[in-house]
Amino acid sequence: MSELRRDPIGGRWVIVQTDNPKGPADFEIEKDSDTGSAKCPFCPGHEDQTPPELLVNRNNGAANGPGWSLRAVPNKFPALKIEGDIDREAVGMFDMMNGVGAHEVIIETPDHTKELSELSQQEVEAVIWAYKARCLDLRKDKRFEYILLFKNHGKAAGASLSHPHTQLIALPMIPKNVQEELHGAQHHYEYKERCVYCDMVRQEESYEKNMVASNDTYVAFCPHASRFAFETCIMPKEHFAAFDYIEPDMVADLANILKNILARIRKTLKAPAYNFVIHTSPIKNSIMEEYHWHIEIMPKLIRTAGFEWGTGFYINPTPPELAAKHLRAAKIIR
Amino acid sequence: MPQLRKDPIIGRWVIIATERAKRPGDFAVVKDKEETAKNQCPFCEGHEAKTPSEIYAIRRPGTEINKPGWDVRVAPSIAPLLKIEGELNRHGMGIFDVMNGIGAHEVVIETPQHIANTCDLPAEQVEKVLNTYISRVKDLSNDSRFKYVLVFKNYGSAAGGSKINHAHSQVIATPINPKRVKEELVGARKYFEFKERCIFCDIIKQELADGVRIVAEVSGFIILSPFAARFPFELWLLPKKHSCDFYKLEKDEVSKLASAMKIALCKISKALNDPPYNYIIHTAPFRNTQKPGYWRTIDYDYHWHIEITPRLTHVAGFEWGTGFYINPTPPEDAAKALRETKCEEENLEKFNVRA
Repeated sequence: MSELRRDPIGGRWVIVQTDNPKGPADFEIEKDSDTGSAKCPFCPGHEDQTPPELLVNRNNGAANGPGWSLRAVPNKFPALKIEGDIDREAVGMFDMMNGVGAHEVIIETPDHTKELSELSQQEVEAVIWAYKARCLDLRKDKRFEYILLFKNHGKAAGASLSHPHTQLIALPMIPKNVQEELHGAQHHYEYKERCVYCDMVRQEESYEKNMVASNDTYVAFCPHASRFAFETCIMPKEHFAAFDYIEPDMVADLANILKNILARIRKTLKAPAYNFVIHTSPIKNSIMEEYHWHIEIMPKLIRTAGFEWGTGFYINPTPPELAAKHLRAAKIIR
Repeated sequence: MPQLRKDPIIGRWVIIATERAKRPGDFAVVKDKEETAKNQCPFCEGHEAKTPSEIYAIRRPGTEINKPGWDVRVAPSIAPLLKIEGELNRHGMGIFDVMNGIGAHEVVIETPQHIANTCDLPAEQVEKVLNTYISRVKDLSNDSRFKYVLVFKNYGSAAGGSKINHAHSQVIATPINPKRVKEELVGARKYFEFKERCIFCDIIKQELADGVRIVAEVSGFIILSPFAARFPFELWLLPKKHSCDFYKLEKDEVSKLASAMKIALCKISKALNDPPYNYIIHTAPFRNTQKPGYWRTIDYDYHWHIEITPRLTHVAGFEWGTGFYINPTPPEDAAKALRETKCEEENLEKFNVRA
């Protein structure tokens, strides 16, 4: 018998295949054909193929030339544009506004072939510092309500370029999924006067079976109602609402656990495509008792089909306790 | 300037790329490499023993169950996601909620011949498929454990389809009202509370007046690309006549719907070079519970329809993180390209087609 599990925050149900669960070897991983560094706009020497840099860690050389170890640039083909007014208006019964927002790319390393988990501890720390710096800068723009940091790695996860990079989008409204998460968390808080995520951290730590790794500041676990096989969540142990307000020691520990988890996923699932998304509080509401920032990592092993689209209700072929067991067992170089 | 558009029903925002908009030829359609050979196909006539015993079939007179001689056949899924026997046993686990995976999971085999895409079936055959859906939904509505039934199709592996390239769709009955369905129902109810009109009827009126997002009108049905389409070339097929339950369609309406379905699917196949796609029938939940106030106004506020989505782009981190989509093809451009793509079914004079 499979199980239906309910996510305590959004109220989403997931079908967890506990009967005939899939292990790591049961998924087919498609290999991407690499674009090659010669044509890659993110490789050193190709700086003129991106808009001018917004942030750079530079060892030598002039601005917008080689000699950097990390760069943040505006997206050349942005989904949203930085200039202009929002101009919300109605078209008959429909609502629309201008696509104003920021769309940036953080190029994590000059090395075309590396994946984030293969960078050194210091290099991953630098990536997280860049995330933080870009968010803090965009907070100053009063038009924006929410900043989303996310990564598409591999074609199946929606990446068009193979060079390691993260994207940032600042939005003029709070997106629907975030809104739902906030509502769910508020609802729990009103009822219990506790943060639902703090409760989740405690429960996963004592239950143990879903735990993948932890350090002084963070826990990483496969959530009870995971939508996807091997979905993993990284969460600060202590209550903390806004990702970009994290302290320096929290940055180092985050680099440590992020690198650790991505390496385990890479090893266990033979370098799959994946997405990760940083869930944080809205810009204008950074100190919330009821919300707790976290990172969701989703390996792309199965395709979303009509059932998921129609119901918003997912089928997970690998129970989280089994996924966690495989991830814990992965031998990685630390 | 890109546009942000809001779906009037569930309130989801979509980014519509108005510059660098993608046209039909701009999408690389990935063809499936591995396909099931005809002699291995479990859905072909003569291979009935390769599926679990049939639940329902439209059969020619004098033929036996689980033997050749059928036009449409329904069997339980060989790998069911939910199982039909057992109790729900909903319970708590610390802060978490769990219940048993009870439900029905059936496969509708749309033709005895080894044809992959529904759009290549004759309209009469599509009509039989639709009648089969109706019959299965009616039957499952009698099981009081179920709250909802979803009828859908995954065509091609990018749409989550299996390697069996023989036209089939799926029916899943669930013990809860799924989240995505509830959002739509709640959105429609709120609009009704405010305006005392059905939001879908209002959309149909406005779209017919605007004209720019209409793909075709087929006696009593309308095919359009919605204002806040999440995906390029996403289509909705709606009955003009207000009704919340798909399974209450009248006989003559089914034959018209079959024609409309065939037209919508043919246009997508022709304009986009046979892409993978999903279609999903959105219909009202079963109303077996007599709880007071339970979907009280649903007969007035909800309007069944079919959503057809070609799978041309990968859903990426942004969409997963925000539930907010980036659509590279404005629905007006998609509707125009599909209006201009003509298919044979449209030329048949028996239907009143306006495009």
